[in-house]
Amino acid sequence: MLEVEGFTKYYGDLCAVDDLSFRIEAGEFVTLLGPSGCGKSTTLHAIAGLVEPTEGRTRLRGDDVTDLPPEKRNIGMAFQSTALFPHMTVRENIAYGLRMHGYSKADIEGRVDDSLALVDMPEHSEHKPGELSGGQQQRVSLARALAYEPDILLLDEPLTGLDRVLQEEMRSWLRRIQLEVGVTTLYVTHDQEDALSMSDRVVVLRDGRAEQIGSPELIYESPESPFVAEFVGKSTQFTGKVAEADGGVVVHSDNKKITLPDSAPSPGTDVTAYVRPEDVRVSIDPTRSTNEFPGTVLNISNLGNRAEMTIELTDGKTVLAHTGRFPNFAVGDNVYIQFDIDRVIVL
Amino acid sequence: MSVERPTLGQVTHIVGDRLQGRISNHHLALLGVSFVGFFLILPIIFLIPESLNLGSSTPFESYRRAMDSIYVDAFVRSFIFGLATTAVTLSLAYLLAYYLTFAARRVRIVMTLIIVPLWIAYVIRYFGILLFLSPAGPFANLTGIDPGLLFTSPAVILGLANVYLPFAVLPLYNSLNAINKELIDASRVLGADKWWTIIKIIFPLSLPGLVAAGLIVFILAAGSFLGPAVLGGPQQAMIANVIAKAFLENFNIQFASALAIIYTILLVGFLIAFNTVFDIQEVLGDI
Amino acid sequence: MSTKTRLEGVKFQGVVTIVFAFLLLPVIIVVLTSFTTQTFPTIPREDFSFEWYVRLLQDEKLLRALTVSFIVATGSAILSAIIGTIAAIGFVRSTFPYKQQISTVMLLPMIISPVITGIALVRYFGKIQLPSGYPALIMGHTILSLPYVFLLVRSELLTFDEDLERASRVLGADPATTFRHVTGPIVSPAILAGGFIAFVVSFGEFTATQFLISPDTSTVPVVIYTMLRTGLTPTINALSVILITVMVVVALSSRRLAS
Repeated sequence: MLEVEGFTKYYGDLCAVDDLSFRIEAGEFVTLLGPSGCGKSTTLHAIAGLVEPTEGRTRLRGDDVTDLPPEKRNIGMAFQSTALFPHMTVRENIAYGLRMHGYSKADIEGRVDDSLALVDMPEHSEHKPGELSGGQQQRVSLARALAYEPDILLLDEPLTGLDRVLQEEMRSWLRRIQLEVGVTTLYVTHDQEDALSMSDRVVVLRDGRAEQIGSPELIYESPESPFVAEFVGKSTQFTGKVAEADGGVVVHSDNKKITLPDSAPSPGTDVTAYVRPEDVRVSIDPTRSTNEFPGTVLNISNLGNRAEMTIELTDGKTVLAHTGRFPNFAVGDNVYIQFDIDRVIVL
Repeated sequence: MSVERPTLGQVTHIVGDRLQGRISNHHLALLGVSFVGFFLILPIIFLIPESLNLGSSTPFESYRRAMDSIYVDAFVRSFIFGLATTAVTLSLAYLLAYYLTFAARRVRIVMTLIIVPLWIAYVIRYFGILLFLSPAGPFANLTGIDPGLLFTSPAVILGLANVYLPFAVLPLYNSLNAINKELIDASRVLGADKWWTIIKIIFPLSLPGLVAAGLIVFILAAGSFLGPAVLGGPQQAMIANVIAKAFLENFNIQFASALAIIYTILLVGFLIAFNTVFDIQEVLGDI
Repeated sequence: MSTKTRLEGVKFQGVVTIVFAFLLLPVIIVVLTSFTTQTFPTIPREDFSFEWYVRLLQDEKLLRALTVSFIVATGSAILSAIIGTIAAIGFVRSTFPYKQQISTVMLLPMIISPVITGIALVRYFGKIQLPSGYPALIMGHTILSLPYVFLLVRSELLTFDEDLERASRVLGADPATTFRHVTGPIVSPAILAGGFIAFVVSFGEFTATQFLISPDTSTVPVVIYTMLRTGLTPTINALSVILITVMVVVALSSRRLAS
């Protein structure tokens, strides 16, 4: 459905995006994920036609649209600031796109009603955007973008600025709508929870280049670079050299010996071993398994549905562990942390 | 026994202490308002008895005279010229403000270019226009044609538009610049080309600036003295010229005062009417 | 970008340039024609001459007008700066009902047609025995430039962080000292800028001024206007250019200070 080929954008001497290529199939939900300044917004704006590429082509439904102005591309877009026209009612906002795409007056009325029904806002049609809450504005913004059945839906960090609870609600709601309508969607965000919870595939961007492209599981479980491993999800990191020991492969990090899976690189290589917090087990008594280390509880943060514990090992290294909520530990307890060999990510 | 002379610091300290608590910020504001009250409002109010000419054999004579067609003409002309100037000025100002907001690379420099004429005395700017339109002036010299515009109404209106153009550009620019750029992006993506976007989004959102600019230009143009005086003939005399002539040439203080009072009343009336539609406080709020 | 939009862009740039030319042409012409060798202001082709500036410097009447303008502008600027600043502080730092509306009073001199102001003032000054000439001119110009100082200082004060003053008081300084060492230094550039703008306003003021002058105390704009009525000679240009220079220089300095 969408093909971006060799997209490059320079602002003067500054390279915002460098030779980015990816495809999105019809109906897919793909997220461009990356920190500020990584070029994700620039890419989205270029696909919309609001930014002119320095190099590269954009293809929509097989047609080369690179030289087409935005109004001829039949795309839908929701903006970070919602960009709802303040001087028009909700109805007029949604009707605007329909009118510009050539729908007849009779058609427009019906379609506006359908759009409002889709996003659960039928009773607000005569309100002005200023009278709506942030979440309501985002919903109208989406309705407006989808009203004329665009080929692709572009979303520019729409959930930034909403409070946590609303953000989580909106994520599942957004995904539900997207599946219901079946529209190809490209979503841009710096929030990895957005990316992991909603997408079919994720494109991780850094400094204008794609670091990794894959499903959320792939990105999370098998990151291909330290950047991806650290940007997506939390982890504890152990750095050191690979060595042979006890019939297996280990890395000596400070004073600890971490046993690595068989897929680890050959001895002598410098590596970083990552362990996800949910793979770290905490117990009062030692279980005598591999990769077990003693430590003291430094901090317990209760994050609602789970707890994040910070444990300081004997050599000063801090380890992050996620447990069920309100765990049976207290700050200062002496505990043992353990993680399985095959849960270690080596890069 | 020696007596120490107080230092400046000590004096300010003592004065400061004494004043503190006696003079509050309210008093300061009052001082400012009183000054304007005593040296502007009061003088204008004093014109009223002057104009009424009470105690003489012909009270209200001035006001009766003001109803003569010549003077009514002057009032009407001021109104019409004001409207015409506003129309011309707003069109030109919109072009400049649009350019500044959406197309200009170096906004500061362009903005300065627009403001610099304001630092130059009106009398000189009108002089320049006079020269330009003069049959012996540069335009005629360069092109060989005499546009024959001097001392006609178009000359006055063009002159007024030229002089008040910067006043119109500023509020328009503020209004245009305040438009969220994402609204324009949204309009394009929703299928509107540049012209539709201007008509349906940009222009409606720039109306506050347009209204403010229009008000300012109209008031200034309608009350202008120099424009018609330098660029116009007797047929272009506006109300300010008539009032000045009555006072300076005919030494008819009563009549001049009457005209001035009528003009002020009309102006206040206009502002009140304007306020019912547009709410002046909001319009001028940004100044 | 398609060729169509490029063409549109060029056309638009062209129109904007014409509008700019329209705006700036009058002043440019005045300056250019001041260098003419002829007795009528024309654009000099090959021959530049400072002849008219020289004649200007020898004309007693004109030099006197320059002096008068300078004195009046300086005097009214000082007065205007003081009163305008006091009013600005008063309005910004206090709250009372209808404050917004009442502050409009400070802008009246800007709003009311200068002809009316001129007539009203000349009659009033007569009543309160304020002589025409310097006293009337300085007083009149003070009133006329008051709104400009008020607006400038007020906008500066609105962005002034009062926590600085509170900190100073907490540290032990009384109001006068706080003003001298904290508020003053921060706000004074704006006050100075306001004074400069008042100077510019006064220097170029004509319409109300024509009522306030006395026979031997005339300002430059009035002289220029009178000369315009009698006949166009390049002396007017020379005088105008001097006026332009003074006003632009002072205004630029004001801008520097205010930013």
